[in-house]
Amino acid sequence: MAQLPISYSASITLNVNGTDHQIEVDHRWTLLRVLRDVLGLTGAKRGCDRGECGACTVLVDGDPVCSCSMLALQVGGRQVRTVEGLGDANSLNVLQEAFLAEDGGQCGFCTPGFIMSATALLESNTDPTEDEIKAALVGNICRCNAYGRIIESVKAAAKSEAS
Amino acid sequence: MTTFKTIGKSEPRRDLPEKLTGEAKYTADVQLPGMLFGKILRSPHPHARILSINVDAARNLPGVRAVVTPFDAPKGQVAPDMPILDTEARYVGDEVAAVAADDEDLAEAALSLIEVKYEQLPFVTDAVEAIKPDAPQTRPGGNLVGGKPLTLIRGSVEEGFAQADRIFEETYSTPAHAGAALEPRAAVASWDGDNLTVWKSTRGVHADQLALSLALDVPRGNIRVMGQNMGAGYGTKDETRLGAITAVLAQRAGRPVKIELTRQEEFVAGRHRHGTTTTVRMGVKNDGTVTAVHATTIMDTGAYLSSGPGVIRRAGQGALYLYRCANVQYDGYLTYTNTPSGGSYRALGAPQGHFALESLADTISEALGIDSLEFRLKNHVGLEGQPGERVTPANEVLDTQPVEGGVPFSSNGLRECLQIGSEAIDWGQPSEQPESGNLRRGKGMGMFIYRGGAGGRSIARMRLESDGSLRLLTGLMDVGEGSLTVMPQIAAEELGVGYDQVLVTFGDSETTPEAPLTAGSTATFSTGTATKEAARQLKARIIEVVAPLLDTEPSNLQITDDGVEHIQYPERSVSFAQIAESAGEIEVEAAISPGSRDHVINSFGAHFAEVEVDTDTGQVRVLRYIAAHDSGRILNPKLAINQVEGGVSQMLGFTLSEQMLTDPRNGVTLNASFLEHKSPTLQDFPKMQVLFADVVDPVGPFGAKALGEPPSIGVAPAVANAIYNAIGVRIRDLPLTPDRVLNEIEAQRGDSQ
Repeated sequence: MAQLPISYSASITLNVNGTDHQIEVDHRWTLLRVLRDVLGLTGAKRGCDRGECGACTVLVDGDPVCSCSMLALQVGGRQVRTVEGLGDANSLNVLQEAFLAEDGGQCGFCTPGFIMSATALLESNTDPTEDEIKAALVGNICRCNAYGRIIESVKAAAKSEAS
Repeated sequence: MTTFKTIGKSEPRRDLPEKLTGEAKYTADVQLPGMLFGKILRSPHPHARILSINVDAARNLPGVRAVVTPFDAPKGQVAPDMPILDTEARYVGDEVAAVAADDEDLAEAALSLIEVKYEQLPFVTDAVEAIKPDAPQTRPGGNLVGGKPLTLIRGSVEEGFAQADRIFEETYSTPAHAGAALEPRAAVASWDGDNLTVWKSTRGVHADQLALSLALDVPRGNIRVMGQNMGAGYGTKDETRLGAITAVLAQRAGRPVKIELTRQEEFVAGRHRHGTTTTVRMGVKNDGTVTAVHATTIMDTGAYLSSGPGVIRRAGQGALYLYRCANVQYDGYLTYTNTPSGGSYRALGAPQGHFALESLADTISEALGIDSLEFRLKNHVGLEGQPGERVTPANEVLDTQPVEGGVPFSSNGLRECLQIGSEAIDWGQPSEQPESGNLRRGKGMGMFIYRGGAGGRSIARMRLESDGSLRLLTGLMDVGEGSLTVMPQIAAEELGVGYDQVLVTFGDSETTPEAPLTAGSTATFSTGTATKEAARQLKARIIEVVAPLLDTEPSNLQITDDGVEHIQYPERSVSFAQIAESAGEIEVEAAISPGSRDHVINSFGAHFAEVEVDTDTGQVRVLRYIAAHDSGRILNPKLAINQVEGGVSQMLGFTLSEQMLTDPRNGVTLNASFLEHKSPTLQDFPKMQVLFADVVDPVGPFGAKALGEPPSIGVAPAVANAIYNAIGVRIRDLPLTPDRVLNEIEAQRGDSQ
């Protein structure tokens, strides 16, 4: 006879895109679940729930993480950045503009994850080589395999940041 | 030289900005007030009769709002061989029951409280085994679909083989592999009285509306299907069971329900590319002339028919059409097994059939001492089509590909593809070999043909709206291929306005007119033709309305970005807003059953690969890849290049690493994850060049032909042939994993000693 695990909850302060949220979280909830279901930030996608595909990538204290594989409790007091914090469709940032110009996506489901991984890369390395781009984005799967255009997009973004 | 305003220009992808910012909504992102979460209980057995299901404990769990089992589900069919829920489970992962609860954890807990009594039945997991006479029977009618193979004949292969100097025969196999679109399937259903609204991952809202109507016995007009952004599918998401179960749960609970499949469910219960075993027999003269082709494919459709009948037909396409030959035959055996179902995965059976055909072509050219490229140049089918007589009545649209000869192609750039592709890879030059003795390089090629064109009846509506804006409405879905961008390009070009001026509404069964599935690489052709015609009509209507306003004849007027102006006196003009203000909204609709009575409409291409094989580890690295395509006029080059590159890279997975593994002892899928069903990443993406033949098709809209699926066809043969060129080892079974390459090196060296 199966039973629901005893749930334990705690109140945490989650800073997302610069705004503090006081949230009561169940100890089992992942960061992805809190972002999507509690805060309504659905840019991070649920692609595999086990850190294999990268569709849920967000930045925690500047580092890209799979938000499906991190508990919300681990993130209390830390800085979370999601794709929603970068710009909207009418005011794309430099990286997003580059993805638009170079056609760096197809169905778009993996796109927010790629954007966040690339954001982390370009913030730590303004002039990455192609190998560095590949190494930084290898945890993100695009099943449409728009990889050629994604690599070009990141290169173009680095170039336009530099100019 | 025709000059265009927007056709042929790399207009930015219309839906990309909101995908880049996370604003784009996919089905799983839909949130409704009071929405419940559904979960599906799946069969642990590959074949079993369900004797009873006890759901009392699940139902009594607080927060559980609805349960459905085969014993109380509505009796409708979601497919000819599949009810909404069935008392017989046919593979490990088959849907058995479902619950809806306040949240996902509760729904999951409720599943574990359901008690099912199964009577296990004999099962079979291998298609070749399944068609043997004493095989366990998956269904009362037997395992072989239809009880006999699909046989397609032109001329007589007996005669063709009699003319041959030499006859070659080889057998190749390809495994099932998963499309594994990054978006797991999801559906949301909500009832308002007798009216049902469904949001789902789909590539055809009208097809879904019809299928749900039949399954649930609800009038079509009471069902609205709204496509959201589609996290791709490559053809593998066409099914109705998920939507139907969600709708039944929502009706019982009296609240909206969402079901999101997990990644594991997507692998275990998704629709995969059909596994195949193909034997090709070819007769040739000593000078290389092909005299006969006979291909036989055994294809595993899995537990359900799904799109199997279409896929088995396409697996024979290369054998029947690629080489100029009067005597050809194809026998396709489509077989049920107790494994997950196949689906319409990108290019259907064409990649499987071409892998066998184009590998054998290399074996033959080598045996005859003819260069692989020369063999293709000598024998490829030309513009005139196949020899023989036309059997199809001349007044019939050649919708399905005819088997007979005597029908020309509308256009055929295959020869140009062979030429430009071979030049780009320096075909005559052997690969430069690295110093290190265990690394060997080689080049290989494969050519292909694909029917893609006409497609089903399509309706496009175009409007001058009351505020003066121009809008295209069609039920089409953009599944990542770019029709949301290409359709307004077509409309804008025909109207004579800028690309950005044409707004688009897609994919809603209530507000947009019927379009066929975004399938079979037909969207540009079918809905594009309807769109072009609707734009032509709207233009004529607008000019007709404006003529009296400007006190002139329609023939003196033209459309510009701003509105309508007099050709000789451009100062006499009215804006679109003014037209709308004085004439009101103008709407036209064009219904098209596209196609040709005079031509076969096919796309063509040739792929060339250079690989490096590590003979110590068996690792294959693709160094260079050239993809040359005839898809008619390219309407948007950047999107087209992305489509081709993506198709090639996706199928490098099929060629080198991907394979669904089923345990033959218990039918269990062994590798339901991205770690074990290994997808290419950008580390694997080779240096690639995409080339397009300079072809303008006389039938397609603005000269375009099919592009979506063809890139996936040439990959496996080009890579396998390059491996042979590198190390002299012919591998006939995909995927070409390191262990398989090593084993084959050892085995084939052993053979030759």
